[in-house]
Amino acid sequence: MNTSSYPMMPFTRLGQFAIARLRRMGRYALFFLQSFVRIFSWPLPVARILQQTYFIGMKSVSIICLTAVFTGMVLGLQGYYTLVKFGSEGVLGAAVALSLIREMGPVLTAIMLIGRAGSAMAAELGIMRISEQIDALETMDIDPLRFLVSPKLGAALISMPLLTAIFDVVGIIGGYLTGVLLLGINSGIYFARIQSSVEMADVTGGFVKSLVFAVVIVTVCCFKGFNTHEGSEYGAKGVSVSTTSAVVIASVLVLVTDYILTSLLL
Amino acid sequence: MKKASIETAVGIFVFIGILCVGYLTVKLGKMELLGKNYYSVQAQFESVAGLKVGASVEMAGVPIGKVEAISLDIERQIARVRMKIQSDVAITDDSIASVKTAGLIGDKYIKLSPGGSDLILKAGDTIIETESALDLEDLISKYVFGGV
Amino acid sequence: MKTPFIQFAGVTKAFNGHTVLQGIDLEIYQGEITTIIGKSGGGKSVLLKHIMGLLRPDAGRIVIDGQPLGQLKGRARRRLRRRFSYMFQDSALFDSMTVFENIALPIQERGRMKADEIEARVHARMRELDLGPIDNEYPSQLSGGMKKRVALARALVTDPEVVLFDEPTTGLDPVRKNSVHAMIAEYQQKLGFTAVLISHEIPDVFYFSQRIAMLHEGRIIFTGTPNDLQCLSDPVVHEFIQGFENPNGDSPEPVRQGSWESTFNAEMARMQHHKVSFALVVLTIENLAEILGQEDADAPGVAQRFADRIRAQLRVTDTCSLAGPNMVLLLLPFTNLSQAKMVCAKLGRTLNGQEIAGIQSCQEACMAISAGVAEVQGNGHPERTLAQALERKEIFYQFSVC
Repeated sequence: MNTSSYPMMPFTRLGQFAIARLRRMGRYALFFLQSFVRIFSWPLPVARILQQTYFIGMKSVSIICLTAVFTGMVLGLQGYYTLVKFGSEGVLGAAVALSLIREMGPVLTAIMLIGRAGSAMAAELGIMRISEQIDALETMDIDPLRFLVSPKLGAALISMPLLTAIFDVVGIIGGYLTGVLLLGINSGIYFARIQSSVEMADVTGGFVKSLVFAVVIVTVCCFKGFNTHEGSEYGAKGVSVSTTSAVVIASVLVLVTDYILTSLLL
Repeated sequence: MKKASIETAVGIFVFIGILCVGYLTVKLGKMELLGKNYYSVQAQFESVAGLKVGASVEMAGVPIGKVEAISLDIERQIARVRMKIQSDVAITDDSIASVKTAGLIGDKYIKLSPGGSDLILKAGDTIIETESALDLEDLISKYVFGGV
Repeated sequence: MKTPFIQFAGVTKAFNGHTVLQGIDLEIYQGEITTIIGKSGGGKSVLLKHIMGLLRPDAGRIVIDGQPLGQLKGRARRRLRRRFSYMFQDSALFDSMTVFENIALPIQERGRMKADEIEARVHARMRELDLGPIDNEYPSQLSGGMKKRVALARALVTDPEVVLFDEPTTGLDPVRKNSVHAMIAEYQQKLGFTAVLISHEIPDVFYFSQRIAMLHEGRIIFTGTPNDLQCLSDPVVHEFIQGFENPNGDSPEPVRQGSWESTFNAEMARMQHHKVSFALVVLTIENLAEILGQEDADAPGVAQRFADRIRAQLRVTDTCSLAGPNMVLLLLPFTNLSQAKMVCAKLGRTLNGQEIAGIQSCQEACMAISAGVAEVQGNGHPERTLAQALERKEIFYQFSVC
């Protein structure tokens, strides 16, 4: 770089930074699109999607239920003490159900899934990368994206809405535990308020979120693991770095997209 | 893990998940799965301030349908409301449709008061007699400034 | 002039500014075993990965079967790739899949083969490679040698035209090493595939490779037959090969004594396994008693020095061992009778001056050394060959060291 451009340096830096970011985002997008398209390539990878659904979905049910019941209970407790000041504790059901279905359900399910399945995906792919298993797939003319990433993406797209639905329902039961059993709200009113307040748009909005989160989680975690060799560290250290950054980036990205989606859906 | 047991486990998971989805959508989201039959009728109001799509249509306090669409009649500059009514409920052509409020500050809904005619409305027909939304502010100002 | 199947022209590759390959020119011919030798970390694996298309060259081009690799797209590229198999240095088995699933994967994913057909083929390969009933075991439960063989089975299950081996024998014990080499050579002959091999196993690779390429500091400094390589007088190459034989010291290890029979039998068995014709030379110091009678010289010391001197003159693949107080055995692969005679003649010329310095205590004595030579082609019984050589003693060459 010649000296005459020196005053422009900050802008050059900014430009370089922006281009690098944009390029990276483009790679993420391509990674997702290619994996998504390959879900439907013939022959359909049904067996592997099934296996991944077992791992991502079935094995997460217990942790999701546990999280959901306590989330619901806390919402019931907090909601009650806030609402009772206005003498409107009767709408507790509505408060719990709406916050679960619109926000807490999709977001917390996504966060739990990152911790349980996302980290595993990043680590698995990272190890496969450093032990040359991904290269081996390529030499066998097996598309690594189709073989490794697409089933995870497909399974996550199936599992996330279902897990979110389970989270919502269990959370509502959790709210029932505190609101009705502990604090003595009429159980009929609790459910009637839920029914009258929840609209179809809330439910579909929640599912749209959960689908988008599924995409975010799988794309980020698999991308990080898949490209472990491009990181600054090598070997086992490289896997740990890519797993950590996958979890962090995915979590942050889930919250950011949640805000964007909420503002679009409302 | 054997293949068959994985399949069973996934099956259970999907089943539970779909049950929950079903509860949320059908029960809470009020989605009509086994589609009760409905027919649409229209009504024109001078004002439907506060009325929203999806608001219920009631007769004698019993919900019998929903507001399907609200639009503006551009020529006459009045509101046009399309409602869907359960097909087992017959509405006579002299019924009165009025926009009401549940409680003092509750949601707006449409109340149908039956008439005495023998002519039953068919799908797509229009209810002629309507009452617009009651404007609370309007009323209060009338009372205060002695308009009543 | 044969046309090369794979051709590298000026291929250059750098990682993070560190140049690994700088202008590689290499030709690989169909139906041959080409072995790439070179120092560890010298870019041999990188070279191999370029053939597979796992890496792209920064400059230069690679032509495979008349098709420039860089320009191939989509379907043509896949079609070409399907003709190749790659065996990774660390096996690269899928550790979440069983042995059977690992081997079956390449043919399973290509589709258009029924389940029982796949099973039959996988089991056939497993049988051929001496893999027992380990279908349902996971790679982590296997020993290193087993893993290598599973990886080999996986590489061969698709009946590839070209197989690339990245150090197939690293980390194996000598017996397994030999069996893997034998397996590669045998399959190569049976199936007629083209093999490209990276190996540190010198001299083993000389026995079954048709072509050797030496990679040194990012360049190919030699290509040719194993014989060409051994006849080459280039000191770099020689030092290099010697370095492989004993990586810890700079002088050759002393000629072994004592267990000569087992060493010899093993070497002979190995050469016969590779179907290499070789010559056996028995050198005898005929007047050892005479020399010893002079002064206080000790018999093994004389013979040991004698053997060491000879050894310094030999090619790397030749074996030289002490077979008695006055007897030295030489095993010369790729050598027939007349060539063996020439070797003896050369020994007679070169040893002349040196021996005196070696045996200082008997300066006036003349050493009479006789040579017996026998040639073995294909299968020969070790003991019978030895007897044959002893019988022909003194017939071919006799020289004196004064």
